[in-house]
Amino acid sequence: MNKPLILVVEDDKPVRNLITTTLKTNDYRYVFAENGSNAVMEAASHNPDIVLLDLGLPDMDGVDVIKKIRTWSTMPIIVISARSEDEEKIDALDAGADDYLTKPFSVGELLARIRVAQRRIQAPGNDASAQNPVFTNGDLKIDFAAGCAFMGGEELHLTPIEFKLLCLLANNAGRVLTHTFITQKIWGSSWDNDIASLRVFMATLRKKLETGSDSPQYIQTHIGVGYRMLRVEPREKEI
Amino acid sequence: MKKTLSKETEMEHILVCLSSSPSNERIVRTAIRMASVFGSQLTALYVKTPQSEKMSAEDRARLGANMRIAEEAGAEIVTTHGEDIPAQIAEYARLSGVTKIVIGIKNTGRKLPYFRPSLTERLIELVPGIDVHIIPDANTSRIYREKRRSLDKSVIPSWKDILITAGLLAAATGIGFLFRRFGFTEANIITVYLLCVLLTSVLTGGYTCGVIGSFLSVILFNYFFTEPRLSLRAYGSGYPVTFAIMLAASILTGTLASKLKAQAKLSARDAFRTKILFDTNRMLERAKDDSEILLITAAQLTKLLDLDAVVFAVKDGVLSSGTAFSKGESLEDGYRGNDKELAAVNWTLTNLKTSGAGTKVFKDAEYLYMPIRSGEYVYGILGISASAGEPDALENSILQSVLGECVLALENHRNAKGREEAAVLAKNEKLRSDLLRSISHDLRTPLTSVSGNADTLIINGDMLDEETKKSLLSDIRDDADWLTGLVENLLSITRISDGSVALQLSDHVVDDVIAEAMQHIDRAGAEHVIEVTAAKEPILARMDARLMIQVIVNLVNNAVKYTEKGSHITVSSGRTDDKAFIRVADDGPGIPDGLKDRVFEMFFTGDNRIGDSRRSLGLGLPLCRSIVEAHGGELVLSDNTPKGCVFTFTLPISEVDLNE
Repeated sequence: MNKPLILVVEDDKPVRNLITTTLKTNDYRYVFAENGSNAVMEAASHNPDIVLLDLGLPDMDGVDVIKKIRTWSTMPIIVISARSEDEEKIDALDAGADDYLTKPFSVGELLARIRVAQRRIQAPGNDASAQNPVFTNGDLKIDFAAGCAFMGGEELHLTPIEFKLLCLLANNAGRVLTHTFITQKIWGSSWDNDIASLRVFMATLRKKLETGSDSPQYIQTHIGVGYRMLRVEPREKEI
Repeated sequence: MKKTLSKETEMEHILVCLSSSPSNERIVRTAIRMASVFGSQLTALYVKTPQSEKMSAEDRARLGANMRIAEEAGAEIVTTHGEDIPAQIAEYARLSGVTKIVIGIKNTGRKLPYFRPSLTERLIELVPGIDVHIIPDANTSRIYREKRRSLDKSVIPSWKDILITAGLLAAATGIGFLFRRFGFTEANIITVYLLCVLLTSVLTGGYTCGVIGSFLSVILFNYFFTEPRLSLRAYGSGYPVTFAIMLAASILTGTLASKLKAQAKLSARDAFRTKILFDTNRMLERAKDDSEILLITAAQLTKLLDLDAVVFAVKDGVLSSGTAFSKGESLEDGYRGNDKELAAVNWTLTNLKTSGAGTKVFKDAEYLYMPIRSGEYVYGILGISASAGEPDALENSILQSVLGECVLALENHRNAKGREEAAVLAKNEKLRSDLLRSISHDLRTPLTSVSGNADTLIINGDMLDEETKKSLLSDIRDDADWLTGLVENLLSITRISDGSVALQLSDHVVDDVIAEAMQHIDRAGAEHVIEVTAAKEPILARMDARLMIQVIVNLVNNAVKYTEKGSHITVSSGRTDDKAFIRVADDGPGIPDGLKDRVFEMFFTGDNRIGDSRRSLGLGLPLCRSIVEAHGGELVLSDNTPKGCVFTFTLPISEVDLNE
């Protein structure tokens, strides 16, 4: 398999060094940019597989870089933000970013995020459900047409809302979906009550999907941000 | 500083006294001219006396015209109530910082030294520090004055009083006949008549009946009991003296009795008023916040004046919905009134003047609206129902006093709040400086170790064996981790102790928050057995998730730090009826009772005997407690069985309508 190409956008040299060194030692190819306009240019000319984007760039807002890239490409974008303010991450995710990392992050965390993004590219049928009437992820199987979901061959008893949520997450597997995005899709509104409802539904849905303590994690909760369906490796388990 | 002070003292405030006198217009205009020359504030004061109720329509119109003249010139119109006009003027002048009083003097011509000082003399006596400008009345006032005299005197006794007088005189005469039959002396009969006059004065209103009774009793005595009988002539040479003394005695008795009666009535009224004000005062003192003060005021007023009232709270110039009161009970909470009433309320709010029924503005409103204010700051608007007619002087003075008490209480509250904020600020300031001192000391240690270890690796890297390198590197990482944790805590502290706690509250599933927190536990925790027990049902609680994660992380890290390796740490959650709780329990050595309270003090670090306890800022637990308390919950420490300790904190649970 071809070694994936990663575009690293980071203006701070030590952090860039850390990232590029990590990538090099883990067999990734990379290009880097120090500011926003270079980042857009590099993204256009190299068409990288994954973008690691720092939000605090000297020349332009990182969110604008995401918007520019999204005009022509759906390449996974992982945002790196220094502050733990949720607003910034949510803005970036709503602008089209797939995932985020908060500084300080560990090398292991960075690599894990890159792997998640990679699986998103490689997974079959990561897009529209119309082309793929059946979605599979590990032991989870969703039959969109029949309107039912199975876990390891056994049908899951889901309420209509839970099924809708599951489909939404599955269609965007690998991406972190913000609360606003989900509530808008499910209820068409995003009042406080919707978000509170969403949290309860997600908690129950997760309980139904992840029955045993050894079952892989399908849905990841990002406190204050949103939820994501993780791609689960078919046989091998990963932490 | 001096300049502003002198400027303030130069600020003039002119007070002009309104009356219904024809010459009052000249006085008002003089005051207006003075005010414009001095560029000063102008207040027109009208003292309403019980006699003003009996004012003729002509006088009333003249008073109204004078008021309008003053109002059009930008004067503030104030009406006070009382019988003692100079005292009222003096009191108002003192309270409002008046510097000049303009008043008219009655040109009564040369008058004998009267035993009562004139109004002006008394006023000057009462306000020695204020300039009093006296404008002489024109001659026309004499006619006016005389007319007013006659008006005052026209106290015609009621039919009831006349009947009482007649009945008493008849009874006295009857007793007189009886006495004569028994052969008692005339002196006894005279005493009976005196008693009769005394009773008349007590039982009837005013002096009139008493005086008439005195004369009549002399005449009756003369007619029935002196020789010759049944005639007004008297033969005895001593009788004229007897009659004169009898008349004088009875008039004196009568006047004294009615004066006494008036005095008793006054003192009873004063006692009633004092009691009411005392009660109100006590209630207001106990009130917890501004809105309660307003509600108490309205409730007391309706109870006292026996009429309906409505009170609107005003916060920072914005009107909130009102509360209507009737007979001391609140009728409805979100009272809004109709558009007309609201227009009057809003007018009062913007102009800081009374409006509504009985005033010139919105006179067809059902209520009379008054601003509850001190200076320019409005606390609320009080409306009292005008359906029972205008309040009389007593009611008005009660109203004014209660409102005064109310404003005083509100001001006290505002000042107390200010003082409290200042105290909190000072405390925060102290905490912050303590924090900075403590941090700058404690930051140096890990930073020294990080840069020193890195230096060693760069310079002597080649000479070190792999094991040493690794231990140096893991030291660097541990120190960096420690710094990260510290920075997180510091960020939380600044958010909490900034005074305005900027909590980003949202409803979260408690177990999700716990799961997230578990990912931020120190690496040192890997050598402990950490278990998470989930609740059966998802529990939603209202919280700032970032801060709550910090609380859980701190509690678990603390448990890790203060227990032996391999100890069990359990994190569990659950709920009671209205609270969610999260519990972090360990089976370490526990905390002795004497230290249980101290662990929540800032910069308390305990004597840690386990592992490497080299650093602890002693911020973790105090921070946890302030975060939990900012959420309206509480963090308590108890003993675990058989050993160890348990930290439990509660959070308000939130119920949610599921949008199925």
